[in-house]
Amino acid sequence: MSFYSAENLYFSYNTTPILEGVDLHIQEGSIVSLLGPNGTGKSTLMKLFLGLLSPQSGEVRLKGKTLQSYSIKERALHVSYVPQSTQVAFAFCALDIVMMGRIAFESWFQKPSKTDKDLARAAMERLGIVHLEKRTFQTLSGGEKQLVLIARSLAQGAKILVMDEPVSGLDYGNQLRLLETIMKLSQEGYTFLKSTHFPEHALMLGGYTYALKDGHILAHGLTCKTITQELINELYHTNIELKQTVCGYPVCIPSFVHTKV
Amino acid sequence: MKNSFLFGLMIAVLVASLLISLALGRYEIDLSTLTQLLLWKVLNIGTAPKEVMLLSNIVFDIRLPRILAVVLVGAALSVSGGAFQAMFVNPLVSPGILGVLAGASFGAALGIMISDSWFGVQLFSFAFGFVAVLVALGVAKIYGRSGSQTILLVLGGVISSSLFSALLSMVKYVADPYNKLPTIVYWLMGSFSAVDMKTLSGVAIPLILSTIVLSFMGKYLNVLSLGDEDAKALGVRVVWVRNSAILLATLLSTLTVVVAGMIGWVGLIIPHIARFLVGADNRVLLPMCALLGATFLIIVDTLCRTSMSVEIPIGIATSLIGIPIFVFALKNAKKGFA
Repeated sequence: MSFYSAENLYFSYNTTPILEGVDLHIQEGSIVSLLGPNGTGKSTLMKLFLGLLSPQSGEVRLKGKTLQSYSIKERALHVSYVPQSTQVAFAFCALDIVMMGRIAFESWFQKPSKTDKDLARAAMERLGIVHLEKRTFQTLSGGEKQLVLIARSLAQGAKILVMDEPVSGLDYGNQLRLLETIMKLSQEGYTFLKSTHFPEHALMLGGYTYALKDGHILAHGLTCKTITQELINELYHTNIELKQTVCGYPVCIPSFVHTKV
Repeated sequence: MKNSFLFGLMIAVLVASLLISLALGRYEIDLSTLTQLLLWKVLNIGTAPKEVMLLSNIVFDIRLPRILAVVLVGAALSVSGGAFQAMFVNPLVSPGILGVLAGASFGAALGIMISDSWFGVQLFSFAFGFVAVLVALGVAKIYGRSGSQTILLVLGGVISSSLFSALLSMVKYVADPYNKLPTIVYWLMGSFSAVDMKTLSGVAIPLILSTIVLSFMGKYLNVLSLGDEDAKALGVRVVWVRNSAILLATLLSTLTVVVAGMIGWVGLIIPHIARFLVGADNRVLLPMCALLGATFLIIVDTLCRTSMSVEIPIGIATSLIGIPIFVFALKNAKKGFA
């Protein structure tokens, strides 16, 4: 029995097929990176895993049960979503946003308990952003926003995090720090399904990679085995060379770098 | 801490404006006589003031029902406005967004034209308020699955509002210009002058209950304002929460029309002022909206019935007072309506 998996997923918007016969298996505590050009259905696939969309055929299973058999609340206790960008029209402070992760635990007229607040604070502390708690969410930088949204997922108590291009819009330093956070959380037992536009980020995090093209899985397996020069060039129509650095770590070098020299 | 102080202060202001409003009018009662009367009548303390029959007639039979109706309508409009703003993630939304006010106005006009009883008019108004919202939801439902639900709802509301505005014009056009038309026009300007104990007792309980329940939905509306997908992923039954909020807010808005006709701007500006005072958290914001809305409308209604020899329709007054306040409130727009 697999932990979190999709089998033979078909999904289409109206008549345009987005995903055709996709299989994806996630092991507990692993990091799964989704690679693929724009518009190949990465976001759709993640929304199917979150239960925000329902497949036309095939199913997503979580701990042996179909995702549909969970109530929205139960699902939220297992799986959380870190969106690429959250539009916040009203001036909520960072702690308010993190506290929203606790909503599934409260009943209608219940106020958030002390435990809820403590859990929200603890989540922020874990990511080193407790000093931001009173800041208005919109005034935070992109990196800080991402961390607040991850803290919300931690407060939610779900051990699976689905992240839509978590590093998009972040500067180089924040990208690396975010990847480090993901790595640390995964070592603590959290499971990640994330999409990325950077094969190198997938290589840094290890785990498993699924390469998606035109609604099909082109390749999948251990990241270090799956991401090859051929795969990247086929996925993105590029001309790169995958080179091992001295310490054995692979990097992508585009061909135009050579021609320049 | 800061919030509980603000709430205490606002409750005090509300009570003070209630008392002042009870005292003011064509027949002025000074505050000490009013206090004496209230203590004697309500709590059985002290002695009866002079002319007690006349005074209690004015205070309890004439002014009190009207003022209580004003309090309820002010709170209802503001809370439903605040809830709609959170739901549509748009601070420029007012309670009329789904067409409820246009529908209720059309219903009232139709009622005035074909029915002779006041109750009939109120019934028509109430019914068409709901019909208009159903039209809006129906239009949104046609294109249901694709795209953002809130945008479809807004468009549905625009369509429904236009439809019922057109129907209202048609009723006005065919209505008897000597007898019925003036009544329709006057109704649409809004007024509390027709409120009596019977109307009040009919609408008080649903108004109070819906205002309270909607105020308690604050935390769900908070999450809803992050967008549907976020809210669902956080474990909130988005459709259910949204439909309940729409139902309650529709009930509130349409009842305000039943009681007092069209009163604009209150549901738009009060949430802004409340947000300025207590922030965007709907758990605090919506109760504050209720308090501020009630106080604001008491003040405006008191001005309407005392400042000139004829009563000013309250819908006109709220617009005239609301517009400058709104222009001022827009200053906060850049800060995310903090």
